[in-house]
Amino acid sequence: MTDSKYFTTTKKGEIFELKAELNSDKKEKKKEAVKKVIASMTVGKDVSALFPDVVNCMQTDNLELKKLVYLYLMNYAKSQPDMAIMAVNTFVKDCEDPNPLIRALAVRTMGCIRVDKITEYLCEPLRKCLKDEDPYVRKTAAVCVAKLHDINAQLVEDQGFLDTLKDLISDSNPMVVANAVAALSEIAESHPNSNLLDLNPQTINKLLTALNECTEWGQIFILDCLANYTPRDDRESQSICERVTPRLSHANSAVVLSAVKVLMKFMEMLPKDLDYYGTLLKKLAPPLVTLLSAEPELQYVALRNINLIVQRRPEILKHEMKVFFVKYNDPIYVKLEKLDIMIRLASQANIAQVLAELKEYATEVDVDFVRKAVRAIGRCAIKVEQSAERCVSTLLDLIQTKVNYVVQEAIVVIKDIFRKYPNKYESVIATLCENLDSLDEPEARAAMIWIVGEYAERIDNADELLESFLEGFHDESTQVQLQLLTAIVKLFLKKPTETQELVQQVLSLATQDSDNPDLRDRGYIYWRLLSTDPVAAKEVVLAEKPLISEETDLIEPTLLEELICHIGTLASVYHKPPSAFVEGSRGVQHKRLPGSAGSGDSVDSPDTASAAGVSEAPPAVIPSQGDLLGDLLNLDLTPPTATGPPPAPSSGLQMGAMDLLGGGLDSLMGDESEPLGGDLGGSPALGAGFGAPPAAMPASFNAPVSGGLDDLFDLGGGVGMPMGSYSPPKTVWLPAMKAKGLEISGTFARRAGVIQMEMTLTNKAMSVMTDFAIQFNRNSFGLAPAGPLQILTPLSPNQSIEAALPLSTVGPVMKMEPLTNLQVAVKNNIDVFYFSCQYPISMLFVEDGKMERQVFLATWKDIPNDNESQFQIKDCHLNSDAASNKLQGSNVFTIAKRTVEGQDMLYQSMKLTNGIWVLAELRVQTGNPNYTVSLKCRAPEVSQCVFQSYEAMLKN
Amino acid sequence: MISQVFILSSKGDHLIYKDFRGEAGSDVVGVFYEKVTALTGDQPPVVMSHKDLHFVHVRQGGLYWVATTTADSSPFTIIEFLNRLTALVKDYCGSLSEKSVQMNFALIYELLDEIVDYGYIQTTSSDVLKNFIQTEAVSSKPFSLFDLSNVGLFGAETQQSKVAPSSAATRPIQSSREQGGKSEIFVDVIERMSVVIGSNGVLMKADIEGEIKVKCYMPSCSEMRIGLNEEFSIGKSQLRGYGAAVRVDECSFHQAVRLDEFDTHRILRLCPSQGEQTVMQYQLSDDLPSAPPFRLFPTIERDSGGRLLMYLKLRCDLPPKSAAINVCATIPVPKGSVSLSQELSSPDQSAELKLQSRAVDWQIPRFPGGTQLSALFKLEVPGLSSASMLEVGPVGLSFELPKITVTGLQIRFLRLSPVQPGPSQRWVRYVTHSDSYTIRI
Repeated sequence: MTDSKYFTTTKKGEIFELKAELNSDKKEKKKEAVKKVIASMTVGKDVSALFPDVVNCMQTDNLELKKLVYLYLMNYAKSQPDMAIMAVNTFVKDCEDPNPLIRALAVRTMGCIRVDKITEYLCEPLRKCLKDEDPYVRKTAAVCVAKLHDINAQLVEDQGFLDTLKDLISDSNPMVVANAVAALSEIAESHPNSNLLDLNPQTINKLLTALNECTEWGQIFILDCLANYTPRDDRESQSICERVTPRLSHANSAVVLSAVKVLMKFMEMLPKDLDYYGTLLKKLAPPLVTLLSAEPELQYVALRNINLIVQRRPEILKHEMKVFFVKYNDPIYVKLEKLDIMIRLASQANIAQVLAELKEYATEVDVDFVRKAVRAIGRCAIKVEQSAERCVSTLLDLIQTKVNYVVQEAIVVIKDIFRKYPNKYESVIATLCENLDSLDEPEARAAMIWIVGEYAERIDNADELLESFLEGFHDESTQVQLQLLTAIVKLFLKKPTETQELVQQVLSLATQDSDNPDLRDRGYIYWRLLSTDPVAAKEVVLAEKPLISEETDLIEPTLLEELICHIGTLASVYHKPPSAFVEGSRGVQHKRLPGSAGSGDSVDSPDTASAAGVSEAPPAVIPSQGDLLGDLLNLDLTPPTATGPPPAPSSGLQMGAMDLLGGGLDSLMGDESEPLGGDLGGSPALGAGFGAPPAAMPASFNAPVSGGLDDLFDLGGGVGMPMGSYSPPKTVWLPAMKAKGLEISGTFARRAGVIQMEMTLTNKAMSVMTDFAIQFNRNSFGLAPAGPLQILTPLSPNQSIEAALPLSTVGPVMKMEPLTNLQVAVKNNIDVFYFSCQYPISMLFVEDGKMERQVFLATWKDIPNDNESQFQIKDCHLNSDAASNKLQGSNVFTIAKRTVEGQDMLYQSMKLTNGIWVLAELRVQTGNPNYTVSLKCRAPEVSQCVFQSYEAMLKN
Repeated sequence: MISQVFILSSKGDHLIYKDFRGEAGSDVVGVFYEKVTALTGDQPPVVMSHKDLHFVHVRQGGLYWVATTTADSSPFTIIEFLNRLTALVKDYCGSLSEKSVQMNFALIYELLDEIVDYGYIQTTSSDVLKNFIQTEAVSSKPFSLFDLSNVGLFGAETQQSKVAPSSAATRPIQSSREQGGKSEIFVDVIERMSVVIGSNGVLMKADIEGEIKVKCYMPSCSEMRIGLNEEFSIGKSQLRGYGAAVRVDECSFHQAVRLDEFDTHRILRLCPSQGEQTVMQYQLSDDLPSAPPFRLFPTIERDSGGRLLMYLKLRCDLPPKSAAINVCATIPVPKGSVSLSQELSSPDQSAELKLQSRAVDWQIPRFPGGTQLSALFKLEVPGLSSASMLEVGPVGLSFELPKITVTGLQIRFLRLSPVQPGPSQRWVRYVTHSDSYTIRI
């Protein structure tokens, strides 16, 4: 008797029959019936009507039957939540069963029933099972916490399950550890800033110990978790590498790849001159080669990953070229990947071997593959200069075969070779011209026409050749038409006497008979150029072309770095960052490689998700042009006066912000003697927004500017900011990923009374950047560029340039949140990019900020006490004189000093560029590292910023 | 994390469907089938995506084994997992087919529940699983010890004097414990070679990938020791003695293998789980210990009648006592070839022009070592040009070499402890397959 009969019951009254059987007294019959139900369920029949009957079978001591019933429950509980409650009692009872199999089964199944009502009954049994004596039950319970968290995260936190889960990391059973790590990793992903998976050297050590003992699948969880850790220094990094390396010889390729990921990441931190670094490089090659002996599916995934690894560290596989030679029975997708890697590994040392292979491939049967192989020969020529000649002769051999698609492909790549090595291989043009008639693909035709036009002076019958193309002008594709137009104009400029007619013909074809706007425009441009100034036309059309770059097909460095952090995952197969294909917040944190040893401070971050992110936190990037436009729009609604009340808000949240904005504007612009309206006193929302210095901006790539405020406030307290002749260290304002390869980092400084914005612009893209310009949005203190951005030379790939932009304070004013926020637009030849950054308010302290003593006293009394705010500066070990001197450097002037009971009181004043005075009282007690500073100002909004400046100035 | 696992028949019938995380509905099964059947040959089938869902699948036993995921998980993990799942199902149900999966659906659901929890893979070891699994396997045909009529090794006819019944390897592992089946253990050494020989006869590239597989039907085997050649060495620099050394570049072991005696005596110790497992994998490139098994001497010309003449001499360089079987040479020919006439050196050979793949297939059922075969092919190719002559080749060879390992790896001994009560059989089998054997012309 076989189970297959369950699938064949198609009678009409089947549900009723099953019902009867389910209620039968005989155990065997019951079991058979449940099996039938599950079979129907599998093929997609709706058997939910049997819910109560199946649940009735639940109370049994037959484990097989129980498992079957649970299987059913998991599937249908969601659609019958009320009925599911019926099962709860049995679950709770089963969780107390002496048999650990039943306990585990119950807790596993309960977690899979995604019904809210059940969850509360689940808590008690789960708590017990988490502490169960049997590891099988504990490991199941660990997973159950993750399940429960997905249904009701709050409940899990309230019940303290997360802490129990954290304790399980130290469990004696490696399987339990692995599941706890997996569950915690997943939960932590949905709380990016939580401290859930507290990775520190102790836990790392525990994980490494468990790594040796647990199953292969557990090893993968642990390795993936390790990859999120950032070691403190190169020594720790090395010791972790040493303990992970044995995994490289594991038979399970998923373990190997996870280990490779950890090693690739931690290697970044090892100094390259270390012996161990070289050893590690050698150890990485064999396992990667081994992956290529798996099934084609795994091979393909492995090759996609190797492609990334080779781009990042070609030295690992530089001697392993042979393993990437294609086999004749490889599937085509494996062949193409191998070809790509072969070219990346090609170097002077192995080029002969590679070319011999490629030549073989070019005679194979598969057309796609042959084309790729021919292209590859061209790429080799461009990549390895010494081989260019050999490549060209190989290509000529291939052209001699007269195989149509080979010839066409060869001509396309020869065009590129001409671009890379001008005036070197033109002797082959004659051979190319022989094949003119056989070209039927647009790309090949366009390439050939380009060659004819470019070398028109060396080809005797260039005019005839081009004329022959011109006959069917309208049937050609746009690519060919454009190329033909340009080629004929080139020919005309080179041989004006014989080709006048031809050029007129093509210009009229392009401008009068064509519907294509690109073609028409280009035609008109040439026409006007030729008719107004032929000399200029010559300069334009026959200008020297920039050489094509060596590798046009590399992945952008920033993306590559991120992908390296995702080795072995889907991202590495798609070659796209996870954010491009995973929805929601889960798993979308941008990962970055840790910096190498010695470059900057090592990071000691407890956070799993954005371990490296915090230290290099770029400022909030303005998410889109739309938002900025919104702000500008709002601004237009406000009359640009300093006195009038803000217009009544008309709608929405943004207008709410406007209210504060208008009021703030008043107080900032107001005459210092004018008393302030009481309603303008500290608005809590503004207070919160104030003054996180640039160094402390959290990484809120996706958060709109205002959404990040709470975070800013959290962080604002403890971060230093140097002042005066010091300026804050440069931070990345605009990451390259957001700006098509342009990275901007910068800072502000006040030098000789002039505020300067000092920037480093780095080109991380593949093409040259030119035409830089900068503009600010309106801001709180009217900062505006005092001149154009002086970047005169084009910025070539991987080049950096320093630029100092003097700023004036006479620009348009709009109150920003936070107050010192500055929204900047930078333009180059590629696009316009937006970012925002913050400047330390101390930049705005002017040189004549010293108040007369009497005026100080009067003003101090005059300002209402409501406007006074008091702050603590902790851990500052300067005496009062040193502090005073230090502050003076940044235009904070000490007016008087008083000593009362061993406590120095410094009275200080400063003046902002817009005329606002800030008065301060600084209390310094000898022996106590904590200062107290009281600030009084008619515009109390600035107090928070000023305080932070104080702290930064004093601590630097 | 795995979101769902399902098994489809080649026609798209739902055999098994299991949802672990409730992230997607069962309608994606249909979506998958549409996508996989719409794939063209040059698209990598490995990962396919539909909205936020990513499908990873393998094909085994004529079935689609599919896992879906929504997060950025590791396709390696999932593919490895699916391969293990198929191996487990094969171990538990005896064979992989639509029928065996359908008959054992309850067992497979139970397995899936133990293997994966909430998308986290728990274990795939049959030793661990046997503690939990309750359902009995249902065999598609009753197992008979006397089913010796269909004798074979890896599907091939062999001349071995002592052969194991083929059905021995396709029975459920549980039966050995329940029905007191015959206790048997199979140790297979399987090597696959890929070779490229240049047009000048020079060996350009040679790779061997090998594995030792153990298939165990021993109810009470606590430990087994496999002794390899003592002069076995790993790595390029490490040489032991002279001459007869067996060398590989790299090897990796199953995690259950204990290697404490490996360094000194080349002995692998393990407690074999019920069912099949790969104990050791190894590879060797470039430095073959012996000459490649086949060499080809081609002459290609045009005769006066405009036909293409291919005179091929194929030499087998195996030791005289051995033989290759199921040899097939595939010779690509110019496009436009219309017909073929042939002269072969013995009647058991055959040759055929395959128009679809533009190649001549030359079949040789048995090819003894130290001998040479020749064939003359005349091809009718209208409009034969010198360029189309270049389209001939490279020749691909597929074959099996029973009882031979190219690396020379041998199992010295196979000891089981405690000594098995009652009769037990220990089988050691060797075979080398061609993976990709290319001879350029």
